[in-house]
Amino acid sequence: MSGGLRIGGRETEQVHASCETEVEVKHGVGLHARPSVTFTRLAKSFPCSIEVAVNGSDIWLNGKSIIKIMGARIRKGSVIRIRADGILAEEAIRALKDLVERNFDEEKRHGRTA
Amino acid sequence: MAAPLRLKATSASPGVATGPAYIAAPLTAAASPPSGLSGHAELDDAIKTAIRELQDLATGTDPESSDIIEFQIEVLQDPTLTEMAGARIDAGENVAFAWVGTLDAYIGELECSEEDQMRARAVDILDIKNRVLSVLTGTSLDDFPAGSIYVGRDMEPSRFLAHDWSAGGGIALYAGSAVGHVALLAKSRSIPMVIGAGQFTTDRGQHIGVDGDAGVVVLQTADENTMPAQFDHPATGTAPEADNGSLRTADGSQVLLSINVNAPDEVDSILAATTAGIGLMRSEFAVTSLGDAANEEKQFAIYRRLLGWADGRAVTIRMLDIGGDKPLSGLTEAPSLRGVRLLLARPEIARVQARALLRAAVFSNLRVMLPMVTFPSDVDDIRQIYREEASELARRGVPHRIPPIGMMVEVPAAALMLDRFESADFFSFGTNDLAQYLIASAREDADFALYQDRAVPAVLRLLSQAVKLAGGKPVSICGDMAGDPARTADLLAAGICHFSVAPARLPAIRSAIVGLNADGTKAAGE
Repeated sequence: MSGGLRIGGRETEQVHASCETEVEVKHGVGLHARPSVTFTRLAKSFPCSIEVAVNGSDIWLNGKSIIKIMGARIRKGSVIRIRADGILAEEAIRALKDLVERNFDEEKRHGRTA
Repeated sequence: MAAPLRLKATSASPGVATGPAYIAAPLTAAASPPSGLSGHAELDDAIKTAIRELQDLATGTDPESSDIIEFQIEVLQDPTLTEMAGARIDAGENVAFAWVGTLDAYIGELECSEEDQMRARAVDILDIKNRVLSVLTGTSLDDFPAGSIYVGRDMEPSRFLAHDWSAGGGIALYAGSAVGHVALLAKSRSIPMVIGAGQFTTDRGQHIGVDGDAGVVVLQTADENTMPAQFDHPATGTAPEADNGSLRTADGSQVLLSINVNAPDEVDSILAATTAGIGLMRSEFAVTSLGDAANEEKQFAIYRRLLGWADGRAVTIRMLDIGGDKPLSGLTEAPSLRGVRLLLARPEIARVQARALLRAAVFSNLRVMLPMVTFPSDVDDIRQIYREEASELARRGVPHRIPPIGMMVEVPAAALMLDRFESADFFSFGTNDLAQYLIASAREDADFALYQDRAVPAVLRLLSQAVKLAGGKPVSICGDMAGDPARTADLLAAGICHFSVAPARLPAIRSAIVGLNADGTKAAGE
C-alpha cells in the first residue's frame, strides 16, 4: 500500500477498500441526461475510483464519466453493478446505490418527470 | 486655421477618407495564447473559462435551461473527454483540433443513436464544442467605431475583416506592408490606406485624413462639422448591366465575367446579376485562425451565405491557401509547406473544410478549387478525403453532395502537364504565383513589380499552351492579370474566355472585352 497516505494501519484499512453492489434501475426512462448528471456528480464527490457494469456485462465503465454512463443504455429494469476502489469506497457504494433506489431524486424536482 | 499638416507616407490602397482617428493599442501577446502553456494546460484553461461562462448563463434562467447547462458543464468536466483530447495532444495534434476531433467523434456517435433523446443531445455537445473552441482561439477582437481612421503600427487581417466598413473610414499605418494581406483586403474593398507614415501623434477622435492616391496622412483637418461624406464610396456612375456576367466580344463570342472575393460581406454591395458568380473565394481571408479552421459550423455559414448571394450562379471556394508567406495564426508547424501540400500534411484541417463544403454544396452551385497543385496525385488525394468525409456524413444522415473539384494552375510544373490532371474538373490560372515561380522572384521582393512586368511574355506563352492541354475542360483566370484591361487582348488571344476579377475591376474589364474580338484583335471602329 502507498505509505504516503497511511495514517495508521487500522484507519487505512477502514477507509481504503474495494466494494461492489448490485441495484436495479426503476426510473422511468433510465439514465438520460439529468439522472446521469446526478449520478456522475455524486460519484465524483468521492476520492475512490467508481466503475459501473450493466446487465451482467464484464465491461467496466468509468462511473465519473457522463459520456460513459449515458452511453451505457441503462434503462428501466437494467441491473447495474457498481464497484469502488480506494478511499471511502464503502460510503461511495452506499450513496450511489441509495441514489439509484431513490430514482435519482427525480421526484423531488418540482414533481416533473424526466 | 493653420494649414493642415501633411505627413508623407506610401500608398497601399487608393482613395481618400477622413474621420475620427482610432488609435490602436500596440499589438500585444494577449491576442494569442501564452506560448509557455502546454496544450493540456491550454485546454484545461479554456474548459474552465467555458464552464464559468455557462455558469453565468445559468444564473436566473428557468429550470429547463439550467438543466441543459448543468448537463453541458458535466460533459465539459468529463474525465473521458479530457483523456481522449489529451491523447491527441500527446500525439502531436494542435490543441484546437484535438478538442474538435474528440468532440466530433462523440457528436457523430450521438447523431447515429437509435434513440431520439440521445440524438437530441448532439446539439448540446456541438454548442460546448464551439464554446471551448472560441475560448481557445480568443478571436474576439475589439471592433472600433464605424467611419474611423484606423491608426496603428500594423493591422491584423482578422480585425480588418471583423470591422464594419460600410460607413467608410481608412487606414494609416506607422509601418505595414503594401503587399500585406490587409493591403490586399483594403484594395479589394476600396478602403483608402497608407503605410510607412512613421510614428506620428494624434489624439483619439481627432479628425484626420488618409489620401491613398497621394500617399499622405493629413493631420489637423478642419473640424468635424465641415466633414460631410464628401468622399463617398466609389459611386456607381452608370448602372452595371444585369447580364449575369455573360458578355459578347465584338464578333459575338461569349465571355464570362466573375468576381474574386475574400470576405463574405464583400458581396453585399454587389448585384449578383452583374456577374457570372464567384470565380475565386480565397477562404484563407475568411478563415483566419486555427480556431476558425477547426470550426466547421462557422465555415459552413460563410459558404452558405455566399451561395445565397449568388442565387444559383457558380461559387468557387478555394480551399485554404495557407503556409509559406500566408501563415495561419496559431499554426506553427511546417512553415515551408503551402497550399495543397500543407492541407495534405495536416489533413485534419482539410477534413473540417471538406465537411463544411460538402454540406454547403447541397444548397446550390458550389465548386471547390485546390491551391498550389503541383502533381495529379495532389488532386487524387484531396478527392479521397472528400469521399471519406462524404461517407461519414452519409453514415450520420447529414445532407451533403460532392462538388466539382478543380485546381489553381499557378505552379509551372502543373501548367506544363495540364493534360495529366484527369481528376481535376476545371482549371483556373493564378498568374501572380505563376509569374513569381517562372522568374524565380520572391513575392515580397521590392523588385517583384518590375520583374512581374517583364515576365508577362513567358506567362502568356505558358497560358496559351496550358489552355490547349486542358482538353476542353472549363478554364478561367483569376490572377491579377485578369483584372488589368491592358492584358485582356493577350488573354483572349491565349484562348481564355472566363475572367474572374476584383469587383472594382468589373467595369474596366467589361468594357475591354466588348471592344475586342474573340482572338484579342481590336474590333473594327475601336
